[in-house]
Amino acid sequence: MNSETQGKDLATNIPPTQVDGTASDIKMQDPENQSQEASQDRFKMRFILSGHNRAISSLKFSPDGTLLASSGADKLIKIWDAYSGEPMRTFEGHKEGVSDVAWSTDGEYLASASDDKSVKIWSMKLNTEVKTLLGHTSFVFCVNYNPRSNLLVSGGFDETVRVWDVARGMVLKVLPAHSDPVTAVSFNHDGTLIVSCSMDGLIRIWDSESGQCLKTIVDDDNPICSHVKFSANSRFVLVSTQDSTIRLWDYHTSRCVKTYTGHVNRIYCLCVCFSGSNSKSKYIVSGSEDNKAYVWNLQTRKVMQVLEGHRDAVLAVATHPTQEIIATASMEKDPTIRLWWPDTVVVPST
Amino acid sequence: MNEALISPFNITHPTTIQTPLYTYRALLSRFDPSGRFVGVGTFDGSAYIYDLDTRAPVRTLDGHVKNITSLDWSRHSRYVLTSSKDWNVIIWDLSSTCDPPQRLATIRLDAPVSWASFHPRNSQIILILTSTGEVYLQDLRPSYRERFELCEPQEEGEDEESGRRAAMTVARFDPSGKQIFVGTSSGHILVFNTRTRIMVGRHKTGGGTMKGFEFAKSGRRLLTNSSDRTLRQYNLPTYPQPGEGVLETDLEPTHRFNDPITKTAWNAMSYSPDGEWLAGGSADPASHKIYIWDISNDGQFTAALDGGREQLLHLHVRTLEALHLWHPSKSAIVSTALHGNIFLWHSPNPERWGAFAGGFEEVDENVEYEEKEDEFDIEDEEEIHKRKMKAEEEDVDVDAISDETHQKPQFLPQENEDDEWADLEPDDDCTSWKMKIILEASDSLP
Repeated sequence: MNSETQGKDLATNIPPTQVDGTASDIKMQDPENQSQEASQDRFKMRFILSGHNRAISSLKFSPDGTLLASSGADKLIKIWDAYSGEPMRTFEGHKEGVSDVAWSTDGEYLASASDDKSVKIWSMKLNTEVKTLLGHTSFVFCVNYNPRSNLLVSGGFDETVRVWDVARGMVLKVLPAHSDPVTAVSFNHDGTLIVSCSMDGLIRIWDSESGQCLKTIVDDDNPICSHVKFSANSRFVLVSTQDSTIRLWDYHTSRCVKTYTGHVNRIYCLCVCFSGSNSKSKYIVSGSEDNKAYVWNLQTRKVMQVLEGHRDAVLAVATHPTQEIIATASMEKDPTIRLWWPDTVVVPST
Repeated sequence: MNEALISPFNITHPTTIQTPLYTYRALLSRFDPSGRFVGVGTFDGSAYIYDLDTRAPVRTLDGHVKNITSLDWSRHSRYVLTSSKDWNVIIWDLSSTCDPPQRLATIRLDAPVSWASFHPRNSQIILILTSTGEVYLQDLRPSYRERFELCEPQEEGEDEESGRRAAMTVARFDPSGKQIFVGTSSGHILVFNTRTRIMVGRHKTGGGTMKGFEFAKSGRRLLTNSSDRTLRQYNLPTYPQPGEGVLETDLEPTHRFNDPITKTAWNAMSYSPDGEWLAGGSADPASHKIYIWDISNDGQFTAALDGGREQLLHLHVRTLEALHLWHPSKSAIVSTALHGNIFLWHSPNPERWGAFAGGFEEVDENVEYEEKEDEFDIEDEEEIHKRKMKAEEEDVDVDAISDETHQKPQFLPQENEDDEWADLEPDDDCTSWKMKIILEASDSLP
């Protein structure tokens, strides 16, 4: 079974839920994945989730690790069971493609950023859209909650970063942050800082209370920034840039402390993640435009494993918050999500 | 988290109004212990909880039918107590997932309540002052359930006339909760042991009727507000164990704070959390003035903050948590004005435009630039790359949070049997509780 036929199925007007139903049966071990270094391969493909029929833009595990949210150019947001790959539900409502999704800390709400210039908040409990945040004057490209989940931060093609009051659905601050589209924005672990990056090649750190710019990090060659996020302790920012490089910056000293290379990133804003689990072997995961996903050892900067299987550029990756599970998703030619498991994963009994 | 990026050379006390919060006829406002919320009591009996991140009301505490007279937060902010002139004290649980939040308890008194507060260690022990001049210690713990009236013991041989009790006008727990301080209309301070309810101290002070008490965080300093329009700071003695007699002394103030020119009365006062400075709110009906005195500098008058023409009713000083992690001394004041405005005061950080440019350092004065020995050397690019890679071999720690010293302990250390007594049957007030975000009904939905 392959996902292209799935895509065709969807094109022949079968309701998405039904497609989900059939898709749930596709849980297969991929035999082609056994490459030469198979003996060292930590992550093995476990599930292929199909349902989206256009490029998948973002993947996020819920904070408790039970759900996986995905968004795509098909204007849909889908929620999957993170352990079984079963499709749970589909949220429809955006008028254009969805670029990013973010979970609230309690896992009850999901925020989505779309090309229809809006950010929507979806309730898992009510199973519906509960709020639309309007204000961006162009495509919204990235969105994230603060740890208390009373604030949202979003960025987009209007080159601003906006901070929203979630409860009232109002803009609190508009930061004239960059001179090109904002490609990623997020809070640090205690919510006092915001980091943003843009196609203008700058990474800026903001004081979230006052909205003041505290620091700007720029690489010598000024490459377009694809993605940025704080490390768990907020001492570093992890930045992927479109010179096919991922860098870990100590933003206090403006020094790059780690560089990761090997993947291809020239065109798209590829997502990059820290491994979510607390195990000692820390790693960095990123998608790549050569249809693969790469896993690096965080300390040695060596490529630990290349995840092969997708048939188009891998745009979105996500790491599970408690287990060593990796989720990857790719573009138009292969709009599937793949879940990669090491043998050590223990599925919690529910 | 933003400490290292913000300039440390700042004035420690707030200087300007950051935001007004608009409410309907607010009477008082208090920061919660973490500085995330402000509790506001109003004239019509409603109380509101404001979120300081969004500066918007997030909860409405609708239960009283007359003026709110006081509002108190439990130590981890989960429970809120409101007292009112409608003879009730209500305890609210903010962890409940609805708005208005669940009432945990309603305590009904026999007179209008003029003040109530939680025990600093256990929110189930409550101190209540009524407007008729009585002080009650209410214990809500299931196995202790009782209401005890604190009375000044009558000495033998005193005749009826002089033995007539003076009304109690102020009552406060000290910061440890070990003692209860009661101020009377005759200018006395009575000290009771909380556990045994036995009087351990009695002080005579000048100044007439006591109007307010305020403790510095250490509990060794007491500030009183009296009817003679003077704030007095006292150093407190050590009190005997309950039952071992009563310490009877005349306390002499170490400092007196007043306005020598206008002789204004004081509506409110508050120490900064570090005890370094003191804020006094003037009762002048035509202005909103906050006086700041520098305690660490022998109580010198430092500044008068002017908040416009609405009379100040109440003020409270607090460290804001977001800043607290990095700026232990950075504080905010919340002050309440007569016609319902609430002002948040802060000390602003000057905008640093240099932060917008990468690799740009701002300097305060001109510096002669010294070229480094190898600064313009032409080096093989491969060499540079190699050196960079070598430097990157060092391990980095992306997980450990270094500022753990700032994390507040979940449990306070027990130092004596008074603490042990207070910790029996603890409340459910823990640091991990979360206030649920309740989304307002949206108009944009079809």
